[in-house]
Amino acid sequence: MECKIPAIGIASSNIVHYATDYVFKYQNGMPIRYVSVPFPYAGQPQAVDVGYVSGKDMLTGRPFMTAVVDALTGPLTPEEKISGAPPEEAVEPRLLPADTEDNLRVLFDNKEWTDFNSIILPTEKRVMAMLKGTSHKPDEVVKTINITGGGRQLTVEKVAINAVMAGASPEHLPVILALATQTPFGNSTSSMANMVVINGPIRNKLKFNCGTNALGPYNRSNAVVGRAFTLMSKTGGDLRNNVNAWETLGNTMQYNNNCYGENEEGLPDGWQPLHVQMGFKPTDNVISVGVGWSSIASVGASQHIYPTHHLMRDYLSSFCASGSAATIVIDPSVAELLENVYGFKTKDQLSEWFSQNVTKVNASYWGNGVIQSTAVPFALAGLEPYASWRKLPDDAVIKPFTNPRAIKVVVAGGKVQSMWFVTDFRFGRGVSIDDWA
Amino acid sequence: MDRRKMLALLGMSPTLVAGSPAYARTAPKRVSEVSSSNDAGEGLITVMNPAIAAKLATRVPLAPPLATLDGKTIYFVNLAWEGPDAANYIFDAMKEWFDKHYTGVKTMVKVTAEGMFGGDPAIAKEILASKADAAIVGVAG
Repeated sequence: MECKIPAIGIASSNIVHYATDYVFKYQNGMPIRYVSVPFPYAGQPQAVDVGYVSGKDMLTGRPFMTAVVDALTGPLTPEEKISGAPPEEAVEPRLLPADTEDNLRVLFDNKEWTDFNSIILPTEKRVMAMLKGTSHKPDEVVKTINITGGGRQLTVEKVAINAVMAGASPEHLPVILALATQTPFGNSTSSMANMVVINGPIRNKLKFNCGTNALGPYNRSNAVVGRAFTLMSKTGGDLRNNVNAWETLGNTMQYNNNCYGENEEGLPDGWQPLHVQMGFKPTDNVISVGVGWSSIASVGASQHIYPTHHLMRDYLSSFCASGSAATIVIDPSVAELLENVYGFKTKDQLSEWFSQNVTKVNASYWGNGVIQSTAVPFALAGLEPYASWRKLPDDAVIKPFTNPRAIKVVVAGGKVQSMWFVTDFRFGRGVSIDDWA
Repeated sequence: MDRRKMLALLGMSPTLVAGSPAYARTAPKRVSEVSSSNDAGEGLITVMNPAIAAKLATRVPLAPPLATLDGKTIYFVNLAWEGPDAANYIFDAMKEWFDKHYTGVKTMVKVTAEGMFGGDPAIAKEILASKADAAIVGVAG
């Protein structure tokens, strides 16, 4: 809704240049006048934030409130009066100018098209060979990436280019195309990451590792598919450090995105593969992508003196429970233990148990920045249980994982040790790989 | 300098200079192990561009500025970035400054219902209905 009144923005110094540059160019087209406070402002004592207002504007160096007044009252510049389609169109040539291999490698790194490990240069011959891995036409748009604006159309051909760069083979392309529908990878100042799980017979056909070292650097399919997600996200999303990729710490999981196959053969009877839980048939080939931040390992083997699922519960209580989501990755030996000894006949029963038994102190729940940003609006809108939780005292105990369906259990590993990871990854519905063959 | 050594430094075999093309070799150049499109020239390869063209946003002009702040109504729209209370001290301090320095400036603080990820049409409606004069939106971080 247009109000047609002067409006200015206040942003802290960590993000203001992103707002005035990239967001303006590709998202809103408005040369909004910003005034900037130092970062961080949230969580600061009152005296600090008050000091920001009586201090300097981080953009211009002038007194902050002078900059505010000037922004509201200063005459418009010719640039600020421009309306309509931008005069120039961004063009990307299909082929890059010919150069030496060494120079091209430097170019690819300088453009941040890589993960800064060596890539396979995407010659036309290689890309054409890669495209034989799918029946889809090269100019078909797989995904329009618009998360940072720009509406970049990731085509089958562009995916194939990234697949070549990642070191994949044509038979990997349908998997990578399905994965491309989920680009880009997590990009947030909070340093997000992803988890990529492959289900179905294709795991064996392409020899994805679902066993020992499933999440480690010991398998080509796991490596190249996970890497392709990184490269597609960076090239397709134009993600560049300090331009529009702002993960303050970054996350090393983004090199491979935790890409592995579920050990479906190691599932106890009654425990369904992840994709079947999502509604796919067992014979469907599916790739699922989760997004989150963290993983905690059990470190040691499961112990009879303290039930395995109790320890998982304890570790889960340290997560923020955003969206009630968690993913537990467990070795088949642990799955057997949970089923045979502790009676969890299905994955759903285990998820339900966690939902009922993971607790958190109320202050700890609301003390998380992601929860403040995402769950507080629910509370203010009167949605339960958030509205009630927000009224509870700080030391009240709540059960934050309200939706057991958002708690996923995936079995992977080689029965070498009875251990597991609990993670805060949240999965959306998987994507059919078969559709991209 | 020895002539042979000089030629070697230039990457040339002495036999080339001697005019025996059958045995002449230039110094080995770095030929790409992966070259396929050699029509680009020896030692050069052509590769495909992974980058994708982006659409620039349609330009939207700014609203005309205020001639003066005296007597105006300014809405502080709190985006609830990091929660609805995160920017309270900043907005409070700004309000206090306006109260002190500008006669008759009225400020209203509103928190967006959907937080930092959504808009709030109700606030926009209220701004229009109240004929507010300006808005300060924040604090992004």
